[in-house]
Amino acid sequence: MAKIEFLDVHKSFGSAKVIENLNLTLEDGKFNVLVGPSGCGKTTLLRMIAGIGPATKGQILLDGEDVSNIPPGKRGVAMVFQSYAIYPMMTVRQNIEFGLKNNRVPKAERERRISEVSQVVGLAPYLGRKPSQLSGGQRQRVALARAMVKEPKVFLMDEPLSNLDAKLRGAMRSELVQLHKQLKTTFVYVTHDQVEAMAMGDCIILMDQGKIMQQSDPETMYRDPNNIFAAQFIGTPPTNIVEIGSENFKLGFRPETIILSANAGPDRAFTRRVKIMTREMLGAETFYKLCLEDGQEAMARLTNSSLAEGDTLYLQVDEDNLYFFDAKGNRVRKTGSQHYDAMVERVKRSHES
Amino acid sequence: MHSKYTGFKLRRLAVSGISFTFKLFMLVLFLFPFYWMIVTSFKTYGGSIVFPPTLLPHTFTLEAFEQVFTRLNLWNYLKNSVIVTVAVIVIQTLIGVPAAYAFSRYSFKGRGIMLALVMAAFMVPTQITFITVYIMMSKLRWLNTLLPQIVPFGASAYGIFLLRQAFMQVPTDIIEAARLDNAGEIKIMTRIMLPAAKSSLMTVTLFSFVGSWNSYFWPLVMSNAEKVRPLTLAIERLKDQDAGINWPVIMAGNMIMVLPVLLIFLLMSNKIISSMGYRGIK
Repeated sequence: MAKIEFLDVHKSFGSAKVIENLNLTLEDGKFNVLVGPSGCGKTTLLRMIAGIGPATKGQILLDGEDVSNIPPGKRGVAMVFQSYAIYPMMTVRQNIEFGLKNNRVPKAERERRISEVSQVVGLAPYLGRKPSQLSGGQRQRVALARAMVKEPKVFLMDEPLSNLDAKLRGAMRSELVQLHKQLKTTFVYVTHDQVEAMAMGDCIILMDQGKIMQQSDPETMYRDPNNIFAAQFIGTPPTNIVEIGSENFKLGFRPETIILSANAGPDRAFTRRVKIMTREMLGAETFYKLCLEDGQEAMARLTNSSLAEGDTLYLQVDEDNLYFFDAKGNRVRKTGSQHYDAMVERVKRSHES
Repeated sequence: MHSKYTGFKLRRLAVSGISFTFKLFMLVLFLFPFYWMIVTSFKTYGGSIVFPPTLLPHTFTLEAFEQVFTRLNLWNYLKNSVIVTVAVIVIQTLIGVPAAYAFSRYSFKGRGIMLALVMAAFMVPTQITFITVYIMMSKLRWLNTLLPQIVPFGASAYGIFLLRQAFMQVPTDIIEAARLDNAGEIKIMTRIMLPAAKSSLMTVTLFSFVGSWNSYFWPLVMSNAEKVRPLTLAIERLKDQDAGINWPVIMAGNMIMVLPVLLIFLLMSNKIISSMGYRGIK
């Protein structure tokens, strides 16, 4: 159990500054997910917590204690690597036991923990095997068991599911969530997959280019994005962003909030005439690519699959489903902005003009 | 049945036939000297000089081996060879493994230059260095000890290079995982790196063994007392007898000389071949 704090953290590789002036608190006992495109610095943060890629400047606190000068093995953290990084020349048992031996855990205690953990992850029948005799999923479990057996304060996971096939990944996803519920330990999970982040996290930390774009629970992340990046990173297809004439703000709306109809209803905030360019039928839902009259494009995600390419219709979005962003891409909310109502008014009128 | 693929089949047959013949030829080329050594060592002196030579001894005798032991104080030479070889291997491992680990995994000031020096040492033939080393040994008053045959070979450039290559194949993640498992550097080296580089380590050890065991020129120059000379020089002494060259005795001496090398090679050949193939660990 541990709270993790980053205070004014900098990291550079040679002359390339990856992270500058980062402040972040990861709450105790939460399933924290660091998510973002590749190169955004999420793995760098994870390696800082582990101590295998120290910060260039700044402090990292574990439960209020500065761990910057504590070696990785003594921080009370365990990590699951993307490549699993299990020791190829040791058996499964030796892999799990290695950390305990190095920490001088007595033999009886080691035996107890190994049998307990191997039961939990389902490795009990394979303790005598070498990693080369295991399947991908089993190797993943070895990596997990090796981390669990140390009973760490913090679990670090670096895209642990990315090497598994889709079916196994889904199963492991819910197993990890379950595991977190049992252990109630702080998890820090790195992924580039927004679906994984939404499905697993209590708290999502969305990063881009070394900066934190938004930190919130999945629901808020989806419903109330702080900026264009957050609105577009979470959700499939990404949030549509359109410009309104020569206005200095941008409008966003999710593909699933679009209403397409032959006749425009009078009381909706945003209305445009659109033409269907392409249609992707995915089963329960259908994606439509739409072209607005002024040439801008938007994606719609509807349960209605009966529309055809070339149809000309009205696109409408309710006011509650509209996001306003300023010129820098930051969200302008109803509360806290005196311009909000004026912006809604201008969006409404923009169709009539 | 005459099929349209007959030509292809014939060609394939011809290729495998030629390949087999060539392999057989190479085998004979390499094995015959060994065979000749073994057979001659069991011949009588008379049997060894008959013309035409015979492929098998007329009378099978161990006389040559007896002579080797009576003419020489063989145990003394054998002891020297064993001490020198074992000491060289042990010291080379103790120095080479940490050096290779440092070269492969640490970045420190002067690493490039130091590695270049190691590689340069790899390329300098002993014939260039032996006079200066001899003078050095003489000043240290080591000439009547085994040290001149051991100390200059304490570090093997070839060994450091080969082990470094093997260590570089170990994924960084595994080393980091070991650090998170609270393993110290010595433990990472012995428990993670060495098992991963096992076959390279065996190759290095084997080459050191053969090099040291068969070494002739260096001990000849560096020793002037019989009590510090190795087996190679003793076998040479079997030659200068007044009655002309007694081939069975020389071959018996060579048998004693070569036997340990052959045995070890037979036991380790799989590891050596795999290490030469630079197999990665995945």
